[in-house]
Amino acid sequence: MELNWSTFFLEIINFLILVWILKHFFYKPVLDVITRRRMEIEKTLNDAKVLHDDAETLQEQYKNRLGVWEQERLTAQAALKEEIEAERTRQMEALQITLKKEREKAQAIEQHQLEVCRQQAEETALAQGAQFAAHLLTAAAGPELERHLSDLFIQELAALSPKQTEALRAAGSKAPDRIQISSAYVLDDTARQLLEQSLSTTLGINGPFHYTQDKALIAGLRINVGAWALRANLQDELKSFVDFAHDG
Amino acid sequence: MENSGITADILFQLGPLQISNTIVTTWAIIAATGLISWLITRGLQREPGRIQTAAEGVVNGIEEAIHEVAPEHTRQLLPFIGTLWLFLIIANLSGLIPGVHSPTRDLSATSALAILVFLSVHWFGIRTQGLKAYLHHYLRPSPILLPFHIISEITRTIALAVRLFGNIMSLEMTALLILLVAGFLAPIPILMLHIIEALVQAYIFGMLALIYVAGGIQSQQVTQQKQKEKNEE
Repeated sequence: MELNWSTFFLEIINFLILVWILKHFFYKPVLDVITRRRMEIEKTLNDAKVLHDDAETLQEQYKNRLGVWEQERLTAQAALKEEIEAERTRQMEALQITLKKEREKAQAIEQHQLEVCRQQAEETALAQGAQFAAHLLTAAAGPELERHLSDLFIQELAALSPKQTEALRAAGSKAPDRIQISSAYVLDDTARQLLEQSLSTTLGINGPFHYTQDKALIAGLRINVGAWALRANLQDELKSFVDFAHDG
Repeated sequence: MENSGITADILFQLGPLQISNTIVTTWAIIAATGLISWLITRGLQREPGRIQTAAEGVVNGIEEAIHEVAPEHTRQLLPFIGTLWLFLIIANLSGLIPGVHSPTRDLSATSALAILVFLSVHWFGIRTQGLKAYLHHYLRPSPILLPFHIISEITRTIALAVRLFGNIMSLEMTALLILLVAGFLAPIPILMLHIIEALVQAYIFGMLALIYVAGGIQSQQVTQQKQKEKNEE
């Protein structure tokens, strides 16, 4: 158990040398490798964290964007709905107007058709009435009726307005030789004198008068003075009914 | 190798220095350790192999043990404390090799290591705190305790040296005696005990050194921390 000073001092030096050797050839390289690896791991972790944070940020952004998109979609949907509703209302209004017009048009057409039908029926009725009256009056007509009609003509001629009288006078003065008197029956001399006297007095026409018989008149007279025709017979009266129906 | 029981043999004289088998074994350990370290660390890679993993495990283990005691000075203490552990493990186990004596069964070697621990306590303490602040902690909590602090420093250093020396020397003596008295296979349990004891003694010596050094570093820091806390209150 002796203490050898050489061993003591050499052992101190040896140990210090060993500390130096291990420090430079063992601890330092190994610790450097460990530190490098830790730094790489930390860097990787930091990168991963950054990526994770970025991913979370992106996720948040996407969530927000999705929310915005959803909001925009709802807004657009509402706008579209409103637009559709407005368009529908507009179309409905246009349709209503069109329908109203069509209805009015249809009503007008119907009215017109009814009017046409009514008019046709009226015309038919008048024609039939005239035809019936013509048959009846043809059967009932005779010289007596014609004389009455002639008298009635003379009275009517006297009751003409001055304007009408003047027009007839002008027509008679332009064509004094074209005065034709048609009658259904042959007029006797008395009737002819009364008629000529009335025409001369009222219209200033003195003849010559051409008398013709026309059975189609049924009864009564027709006097042609130039372009004028004075009618006082049943045929023209019946015809005037039909014409009246045509004229409305 | 005549007196292979208690004292070391002087193998040769180098000037005024006597070279004992303790020194030669230590040189062999240093050479082997240095060579192995160089071989391991020359090809360190990012993806470690088995040997590199073992080396990193050793360094990490030492680092964590130091970190538990002195977390703020881990890297500073690692070379000294780590070398103590590694050297003592190898030195203690070297006695298992036939014809080789553990350097740590030589009181001169253990005393040298204990003296290094003693000096390193003051070295790290003064480096960390400064000379005045470090020396001031001997006067705390009362200047009356200064002699006891000094005695404590000396006795614990002696205890370090003698404990290691006594344990390793006794182990080797026991193994030698049993080998002489009993047959060829009888010392095997003792050799197993030698391995365990070698590891335990290396751990104890290194851990005590670490605690002493950390105590020297942190003695003033604790006081300053308490003072700081008091001021904050």
